[in-house]
Formats: sequence, C-alpha cells, structure tokens
Amino acid sequence: MIKKITICSLLIMLIFCVPVYAGAPMTAVEATVNRVLDVLRDPKLKDPSAKKIKAEKLRVIYKDMFDEMEFSKRTLQRNWTKFTPDQRKEFVDLFEQVLEKAYLDKILDYSNAKIVFHKETMASDDKAEIQSKIVTSSKEIPIFYRMSLKDGKWKVYDVVVENVSLVQNYRTQFNDILASGTPEKLLESLRKKVNTQ
Amino acid sequence: MRHCISIIILLLVMSAGITPGYSLASGSQQSPEESSIQQPSPAKAGGTPPATSKKPNDAVKDDYADDQNFDYDDPFAEAKVTIADPIEPLNRISYLINDKLYYWAVKPVATVYKWIVPEPARISVKQFYFNVKFPIRFINCLLQTDFSGAGVEFGRFSINTIWGIGGLFDPASGGEIKLAKQDTDFGQTLGMYGVGHGFYILWPVLGPSSPRDSVDIAGEYFLDPLSYFGPWYTGIGIRPFKIINNASLVIGEYESLQEAALDPYVAIRDAYAQYRAKAIKARKARSLIFKDYDGGDSPAVPSTVKE
Repeated sequence: MIKKITICSLLIMLIFCVPVYAGAPMTAVEATVNRVLDVLRDPKLKDPSAKKIKAEKLRVIYKDMFDEMEFSKRTLQRNWTKFTPDQRKEFVDLFEQVLEKAYLDKILDYSNAKIVFHKETMASDDKAEIQSKIVTSSKEIPIFYRMSLKDGKWKVYDVVVENVSLVQNYRTQFNDILASGTPEKLLESLRKKVNTQ
Repeated sequence: MRHCISIIILLLVMSAGITPGYSLASGSQQSPEESSIQQPSPAKAGGTPPATSKKPNDAVKDDYADDQNFDYDDPFAEAKVTIADPIEPLNRISYLINDKLYYWAVKPVATVYKWIVPEPARISVKQFYFNVKFPIRFINCLLQTDFSGAGVEFGRFSINTIWGIGGLFDPASGGEIKLAKQDTDFGQTLGMYGVGHGFYILWPVLGPSSPRDSVDIAGEYFLDPLSYFGPWYTGIGIRPFKIINNASLVIGEYESLQEAALDPYVAIRDAYAQYRAKAIKARKARSLIFKDYDGGDSPAVPSTVKE
C-alpha cells in the first residue's frame, strides 16, 4: 500500500515537474519570428491593399514579443526620474509609434529572407541573448535578441542589429537632447518625428 | 480512499509549487508534512515562498511610477562605447554634404545602374573589389597575431582568384570549404594595440572615422592593388564606380536609418562607435597575444552557451 502511494506520488511529481520552466528563450523568440513570417507570407494578404491588415496583425505579435516599458526605461536610464508620470506615459507611447513606423516597412521587405537561429547565451536565470541572422541573396545580417524573463514569459528588451544595440543608439540620441533640453523638448521632437514619418 | 486523499493533497501541493505567488496567497496554511513534501521541487518552480508572496492588490504595479529598484544592468552590454565629438560643427557640415551627395548623385545613379545590371552581376563586382583588397586583410591579420586568420585569408584569395574567376565569385565561403571572411583593417589593429579612437571625424565622401581609423585611408591607398593599375587617374575612375556598385546593393538603408532616428547624425556616430568597438573585440578574441589584453572593459562572462 505504502509502496503504491510512493510510486504514485513519484509519478505525479515527475509529470508536474516538466512544464514548470517558462520555456527556453530561444524557442520563445523563434516561435514569435515564425508567427511574423506566417503573416508576411500569407497568400491572402499578398495584395498591397492588405498592408494595413498585415500591420495590425504584426502589432499584436510585437506587443507580445517586446517589453516596451523596459525598452523605454533602458533608453532613458536615470533620466526616467526627470519625467513626470504623465510625460513617461506619453514618452512610451510616442517611442513605440516611432519604432513601429520606422521598422514596419523594413520588416515587410524581408518576406522572402531566410532566418537562422544559431546560439543562445544565458547570463543568468532570467537574462538571455539569442543570436540569429537574416540571410538574403546579397548579404547576411546578424540580429541578436536580448531577453529577460518577466512573470514567466521571455520578452525582448533590446535588439542588436549588425553589432549595434538599438537601446544604446536611442539612449545616445536621447542623452544628446536631454543634455541641453528638458523632457518636454524630447517629447516635442518625438511628436514631430511621429507626424513626419 | 485514504490514498486517494493523499494523492489529492499531493496534487494541490505540486500545483501550488508551479504557479508561484498569487495562487498561494489565498491558499490554506500548510501542515508540516506538506511542506516537507514540497522541498524536493526545484527552486525555479517554487518562485516566491508563501510567506513573502504579494497580496493580489499589490500585484497591479504602476509601471509609470518612480522605480528606484529598476535594474538597468544589461549583462550583455559593453561597458562604455562612446566617442568624443569636439569638432561637431565641422562634422555636421560634412554630414550635410554627404546627405546631399547621396540624394542628388549616388542614389539616382545607383538606381539607374541597379535597373540596368542584374543583382548577381552587382554582387560579383562587389566581391571582385573585396577580393582585390586581400593584402590589407592579410597584413592586418599578421599584425594582430591572428595567424589562422591570415591563413584563411590567403586560402580565400587563392581559391577565389583561381576558381572564382579573378574574385568575381566566392566559392571559398560556400560548399565544403567554408572559409569565413576576415574583414579587418589598420584601425582595428591599432585599436587592439591599445590606441583609442581619439575623436569622431565625419569625412566628406569617405564617411564616419576617427584619427585612428583614418590611417586606413592611407593604408588602403598604398596596399590596395587598384592604386597601381595604370596612371594615377584610373584610381579616380575606379573608386566612384565601386561606390555606385556597392550603393546599388543597399539602396534604402540610409533612408530607413533616417526614418528611425531622431537625430540621424548622432545615430550614425553612435552606430559607428558601437560597431568598431565590437569589431575590435571580436578580432582580439582571435589574436594569440592580445586575447587577454582588454583595458578592463570586458562585459560579464556569460554562464552558459548553447550552440
């Protein structure tokens, strides 16, 4: 009887131990990128008029994949505290729009590219870097995703394209503006950018 | 019946271990035996222990509030990748010149050229120019004490010149041979020796550089075999063609950079600094002598790598 119980409990423990870990970051990012490619290659959305639907579908995936809060905080760093909560809200919103508008057309260009995921580096239990590359006929573009584990989900907090970190690149630009100007000035130039894009 | 109950209890305990935090907060008090059963479950699964778990109403965190505890550390980031820019006013003038040059001359010509010449031919022209600059890469590999890299470059040059019809094709990269390009230059060699950037220079036509990396302008002139073809003015004829050809393969990239940046001038400067820093680090890793020599700016060592 006791033996049976022990075996039963051991079996149950084994069953429940498997799905516990949040899932390797590489699998997470690979699955998301494949979802993006599915949208890009969807024959029903091939018509140029379907670009809006495509963008809408991609936005859902993007929200799921990126941690825009973390993205914004990392680009502003200590400057985050200089912003009032309202300004922060506007900043996150505007920054997201700038990124979306800038990279959407770029992503649509890569519908036929091959994407290879080749390396996963774990710096700690909740920080990982996934290395991938886009392979086209004329070149290879290395793209690294830096991810952190938040509430059981791996989310991207920085993208490194051809060895250039997006977060650092924006940080340098924002620092340049904030060195001589107020948060309001930065918001103003973001607003202008969104309107001219 | 009794062991049914014990299995149910066990199930409850196990599931509590899987969903950390909030599900436990409302759970009943645990008996001593139960917590002893929970012990063997892995620490990752357990999450926060019940005593310190958050109450549900605390779980809704205000993302926009002051966050003193925010962890800005990025274990993958380089410690300090910046470049001084004391001659910014001059550089901004060059930026305007280059910008106009691109939109008024390079882009229109490259667009027509792209329309006439098919892509494989343009890639071949690019490869031809790249192959011809073999002496620069070979000598710098040697100066960096990267002897395997020098060997690879020598092999690539021989294979691509003979089987790649004078370097028009790149058989050395593909198939069974798989010799990776060792794209290196004098600026990287000096960087490896410990010479800093100095400051940022944006040259008209030639683009982002620094006093250190400008050495390559001279180096390229003397080591690029194209400089020795015929009289001096052939070089002037060949180089713009190279610029147009290579531009035809990347039309649109400069535009999207401008599209994404708030200040394209600063964005390019930062990208240049980051790109050069990483390239030098990658070259150092290949070097025999300079492998462990890094003025204390190496990032945190990653704990696990899966390839």
